Amino acid sequence: MATGKARLSRRDFMKGVGGALVGMAVGLPATASGTITPPGVSRVVLIRNPDVVLGLRRTDGELIQRMLDEAMVSLFGLDTPSECWARIIRPDDIVGIKTNVWHYLPTPPEVERAIRRGVLGAGVLERNIGMGDRGVRRSNIFRRSTALVNSRPMRTHAWSGVGSLIKNYIMFDNPVRYHPDACASLAKVWDLPITRGKTRLNVLVMLTPQFHNLGPHHFDEEYTWPYGGLIVSTDPVAADAVGLRIIQQKRRQVFGADRPLQPTAHHIALADTEYGLGNASMDRIELVRLGWQEGSLI
Amino acid sequence: MTAMADFLPESIADWTRDNSSVTYDRETIFDYIDGAGEVYRSYAFSHVLVAVYAGPDGPDITVELFDMGNPADAYGVFSYAREREESGLGGGYERRGRVLCFWQNRYYVCVTAEERTENVDRILMDVARAISERMPPASNPPDLLTSLPSAGRVASSERFFHLHPSLNYHYYLARENILKLGPETDAVLARYAPGSTYLLVVEYPSASAAAAAASSFKQGYLPASSDSGTMQTENGKFSAYEQRDQHIVVVLDAESDTAAEDLRQATVDRLTQPSR
Repeated sequence: MATGKARLSRRDFMKGVGGALVGMAVGLPATASGTITPPGVSRVVLIRNPDVVLGLRRTDGELIQRMLDEAMVSLFGLDTPSECWARIIRPDDIVGIKTNVWHYLPTPPEVERAIRRGVLGAGVLERNIGMGDRGVRRSNIFRRSTALVNSRPMRTHAWSGVGSLIKNYIMFDNPVRYHPDACASLAKVWDLPITRGKTRLNVLVMLTPQFHNLGPHHFDEEYTWPYGGLIVSTDPVAADAVGLRIIQQKRRQVFGADRPLQPTAHHIALADTEYGLGNASMDRIELVRLGWQEGSLI
Repeated sequence: MTAMADFLPESIADWTRDNSSVTYDRETIFDYIDGAGEVYRSYAFSHVLVAVYAGPDGPDITVELFDMGNPADAYGVFSYAREREESGLGGGYERRGRVLCFWQNRYYVCVTAEERTENVDRILMDVARAISERMPPASNPPDLLTSLPSAGRVASSERFFHLHPSLNYHYYLARENILKLGPETDAVLARYAPGSTYLLVVEYPSASAAAAAASSFKQGYLPASSDSGTMQTENGKFSAYEQRDQHIVVVLDAESDTAAEDLRQATVDRLTQPSR
């Protein structure tokens, strides 16, 4: 049978063809940890706090700020959060903060404020900071941007498996172009003039992740849980890979082993294996765990 | 033809429809429901009317009325993600949490309470019934479902669809469209016990189209299958397929070669029954 990338089938997964796809399909557990990140390995910080979630779409802003600060220090190995922001953002940067406005589970305003504070603290003028989701293609700030920060909650999605950091950039182009094969080619949107090479930080919001869909597009808080986490990395693929494993593990916990994501979120693995955007395989991810450990699912 | 807005009463008990109804078509659906709009576009969906009812004490109720183009596709989108199906409203309905969805004739309807309340179940059903009563009568599910043997079939596991991405949603087969699915093909998929065996039946526009798809499937997925079209795959399970006239029957992940062949044969027998 054909084993080329274009023909990858379920049987190829069974045989182990497809590299990281295998892990993505079955949700292999995390293995990497340590303090020094080897070359070719992506550091991902998972920080959690049991008190940060006050309810669905209600978050403790002070704790969010502390969590992001701690995550930044750990991610970059510097002494203070402001040094970390200065490492990735220059005062003369024009910064677009790409968020997500899906009204059931948007990027929390507390996270948006913490990111904005960091960018301002790096010396960027207020007028050179933009924040948005739909409409970023037409935004003057985003079109002129020299740096991007990307943040959204992870949730299951009826067409792409999960709404991921990678997928969050789909609004930089005509989304329909990326819909075939469960949004397999989403990583290409990271190679447009408006996005290419600009992303300095990714914050995957795992405060109340959604682990199951209610029909194609409905939402019910029954399928979220107070995980109380943020996943922070410069590598969007690695951050998504970690988030995806948590979602998959939650589904196993709730439904049993026989409930794979529908559809599979293979756009994350393909962002690694076909597009080279980042690392999706856990053996190339250094996962740093901070804060609350109970029920981390990874 | 009755306008969809006519299916929506001005008021239902204490609930009054506001004047801000919005319609989205195949192009603008993404403005309403993001990329998941592709689920609706994978059927003959033409447009959706979204209306809101406000009550004196309870949460707002959002009604989505999808014109799916034909009854088969209304059933199809209903079957896409339903986990349980109950009868007594339209062609069937499912209530999960704050959402009640049903299909009736060529329409798929979802009624959503914006918040959970103690009496949300009753409110959802009252609103849904008031709308259903104004709609054309319910239809039968697509005829192709009658090809599915009933023995061992898992309740509410039946899916009706047309396209390759839909198959991969329900059962990831391959990135390439090796079964040559398209808008002109009808497909039903169901799960069977024991184990987790899947049965797929595809109806093509012609026997020659089915033959071409069968050849593609054999080459792409079961190249080493026996003359009887059966083989063991890497997960230790058994798959079998057969083309019969304009249909292809595929059994996936059966517990034994005998189980695969029996299910395939039972399906072929039903397809060839004169009464179909």
